[in-house]
Amino acid sequence: MPISDKSVPTPQGGVTRRLFIKTLGTTAAATSIAAAGEAAANSIADAQRPDDPVRGPGPIPVTLRINGQERSLKIEPATTLLDALRQNLNLTGSKDICDRGSCGGCSVLVDGKLTVSCMMLATDAEGAEITTIEGLSKNGKLDPIQESFIRHDALQCGYCTPGLVVASRALLNANPKPNLEQIKRGLCGNICRCGTYTNIFNAVLDASGQSPIMDVTPDQSAPKG
Amino acid sequence: MNTRLDDLPTSMPTSNRPQNKGASLNDDASRLDGVAKVTGQAKYGRDQFLPNGLFVGFVRCPYGAAELESHDEKAALAVPGVVELEITGKEGKYHGHTVGYLVAESMQALARGLRALSAKWKKGEIKTRITDEKLETPEPNDKSKELLAGADHVLEAEYSTEVQTHSSFETHGAVVDHKGDSAICYASTQGTFATTDGLGEAIGLPRSKYEVVCEYVGGGFGSKLNGAGKEGVTAAKVGAKHKGPVYCFCSREEDHLDTGNRPSGLARVKIAFKNDGAILGGLIRSWGGVGVSRGGGGMAVPSGRYDLGEIQREHSDVQFNAGAPRPFRAPGHPQGAFVEELMLDEVATKAGVDPLQLRLRIDKNDDRREMMALGAKLIGWDQRKKTGSQTTVLRRGFGMGTASWGGGAAKTECEVVINRDGSVEARTGTQDIGTGQRSSMGIIASTVLGVPLKMVTVRIGHSTLPIGPGSGGSVTTPSTAPVMTVAAEDARKQLLAAVANLNSADPSEFDIKDGQVLRAGKPLMGFKEACAKLAADQIVGRGKTEQAERGQGHSHGVQFVDVTVDTETGVVRVSRVIAYQSCGKVITRKMAESQIIGGVIQGISYALFEERVLDRNVGAMVNANLEMYKILGPGDMPHIEPVLWTKGQTGYRSLGEPPTVPTSGAIACAVYNAIGVPVRSLPITPNKVLAALEGAKS
Repeated sequence: MPISDKSVPTPQGGVTRRLFIKTLGTTAAATSIAAAGEAAANSIADAQRPDDPVRGPGPIPVTLRINGQERSLKIEPATTLLDALRQNLNLTGSKDICDRGSCGGCSVLVDGKLTVSCMMLATDAEGAEITTIEGLSKNGKLDPIQESFIRHDALQCGYCTPGLVVASRALLNANPKPNLEQIKRGLCGNICRCGTYTNIFNAVLDASGQSPIMDVTPDQSAPKG
Repeated sequence: MNTRLDDLPTSMPTSNRPQNKGASLNDDASRLDGVAKVTGQAKYGRDQFLPNGLFVGFVRCPYGAAELESHDEKAALAVPGVVELEITGKEGKYHGHTVGYLVAESMQALARGLRALSAKWKKGEIKTRITDEKLETPEPNDKSKELLAGADHVLEAEYSTEVQTHSSFETHGAVVDHKGDSAICYASTQGTFATTDGLGEAIGLPRSKYEVVCEYVGGGFGSKLNGAGKEGVTAAKVGAKHKGPVYCFCSREEDHLDTGNRPSGLARVKIAFKNDGAILGGLIRSWGGVGVSRGGGGMAVPSGRYDLGEIQREHSDVQFNAGAPRPFRAPGHPQGAFVEELMLDEVATKAGVDPLQLRLRIDKNDDRREMMALGAKLIGWDQRKKTGSQTTVLRRGFGMGTASWGGGAAKTECEVVINRDGSVEARTGTQDIGTGQRSSMGIIASTVLGVPLKMVTVRIGHSTLPIGPGSGGSVTTPSTAPVMTVAAEDARKQLLAAVANLNSADPSEFDIKDGQVLRAGKPLMGFKEACAKLAADQIVGRGKTEQAERGQGHSHGVQFVDVTVDTETGVVRVSRVIAYQSCGKVITRKMAESQIIGGVIQGISYALFEERVLDRNVGAMVNANLEMYKILGPGDMPHIEPVLWTKGQTGYRSLGEPPTVPTSGAIACAVYNAIGVPVRSLPITPNKVLAALEGAKS
């Protein structure tokens, strides 16, 4: 039964009730809060074509636009975007740490919005512009936030680092000069086990032209030699 | 991505932390694997998805104790893509205990196969904690009796800590690429060579035919010291059978259950002290909760850092139905320090003495006492109110703790290769688990040779390289740095001898500085130019443990914390931490600071959040994930200032473990200072704070 809701456009210009409900459900479940909304709705609508009403259960062809390149792959419909990236496309910069949306290690940008790729189906990302950690540096040059991470040693084992770099980029895109509290809030979807947060905060401050937080002066802290 | 190696940013000065300026061999050096890690190019073992690979998943006991009654082998093998099932046992002794494994062509098939197996379990009797055992507190011996009887005061208290899992972000596992007559094992390990040894029989090849690679390791914290582990061994076995790549990595849940932890602990103390706070001695009885392990539950109290008089000490480990401990960053020490520091603050408060003054009196080390005096000023100790004097909703508390660490050294060989094209390689097989080992090696080679860091390529994490230590006991840098120094000195000597020979002069006339060869202090030619004139293809400088001078003595640390306790919600927030640490000569300022900050953060996380929760009825871990097993996140972060102590420091000493030792004790002291009643149990969760406040009222 067609309903008119212009916020959920499809190639056909209409949407089924089933698709609409599915869209709502998937949107809530599949994307991070920051990314919830139109992007997912659009991609689902694009994926549901009249000549392809049911997909699966076997492997299906999927085309993803990743870091500016079209990538075609055959995957089971239940494959997450993260698994497609890592296991099918060998883009292993996005990490699987918790596998359930609580660590941010698999963060990517989906149409510019911060998304945990372990909570999104690959098919739901069809039609969207996906940027992974591998796509942040361009023409052999590091993104300023990547350079700032290195300068401030905002990494140790490095396993959470790609997710935190992507999340920091998303934060700076939304707020070019965040203060410390805004940085903490902006990165609170990510965790790190080695304990690199202090330096990550400094890296984000530096990348946005602000001074690192200091409250100790050299002369009072320790004798030299 | 086409950032070339030449573009590696190796010198990146920062203006922050001026207190540590000039502390290290190279203050401005950035991590040599920084670019690889921030661009996602770094390939960890868990990232090795090889064409036509098989995947292994374990069949695991879902309860604290259970017997595998039945399983549907036919159904599991009938799942498309499932290739093999091995049931190796029936008895599950803890949640996560493996009783077999399944092999499949994809992860999805693996999951379907494990579901189709329909394992049915018969639950058994279980114990899940130390206190499920009847604990007998011993009678004081004659000496203790005498001390307790003659004391002005006696502190009698019970302290407890919970199980902390390592939660390394790259889980445990390996990928074995078996090619029939040779193999490569991509391991996530803290011991390249221990893993190589451990694969022996399972991989079915002589050691000369396979190699272990671990260029990048996603954390370990002690839990990846067990050689190849069951994951590596099983991958090797399956690989040897099917002659192809085999992927065997734990899921997050499996990692919590079956790859080690910091054991729980319980300590009962009876401490005799005088009116002025002087401690005479007494009795400390402790128990370690080691799950199914036979040992490993020790608590390092007394630590030996303080004069506590004569202590009667007894300890035993208690077994129950849960996964076994493994070494975890300073095993036994944070637990011990928590007990000791809070105990000291309780003694000081009862005696009416400032806890800082008490520590200044009884601490046995000059460096630490000096750190205490300086650190107290930095944290603002003079703002500390008397314990129990605050009546506001939000109460502020100050606390402190200490650490010391003696290190050994393990067998190490290093090579420094100078090629004729002027490129330099620093080589040792040991791994970098996030500490900055790769960078340290490069900095030493570059400093000793007198060439920019950019010219040095470091090769580590490979079993075909010269042997290096496992990353345990904080010995990696103390073992490798002196040996790499010897190797670089050897290479430098050989190069200068060659240059002297070409100029028919004495080698003592020549020197290398900033990539220039000098003669009598004046630039003669560039380093590259000199290398181009070498008669041989390359110079190989070598170093061995026996030739190297090891750093002597201990690393010391003192930490101060400033916390706020909300007495309505029970929430504890740490707002500032000052962390002093010595470690001998510092190689790289930034990575040394990172080690200290990381240790502090893990300490705060241990003090406030981390706890393995077992269901007491069935023995299953109910929070085997990363949202209910809470580790500290960005929003919980205090401001942390690491101070590198350089006064009187010689040699290279340990830095990895000591900074995580004092933190939890310091926080417990600060909470006590704020609310006037000690919370003697870690983690200090809101419910415990509220219960302590409630108890104090009644």
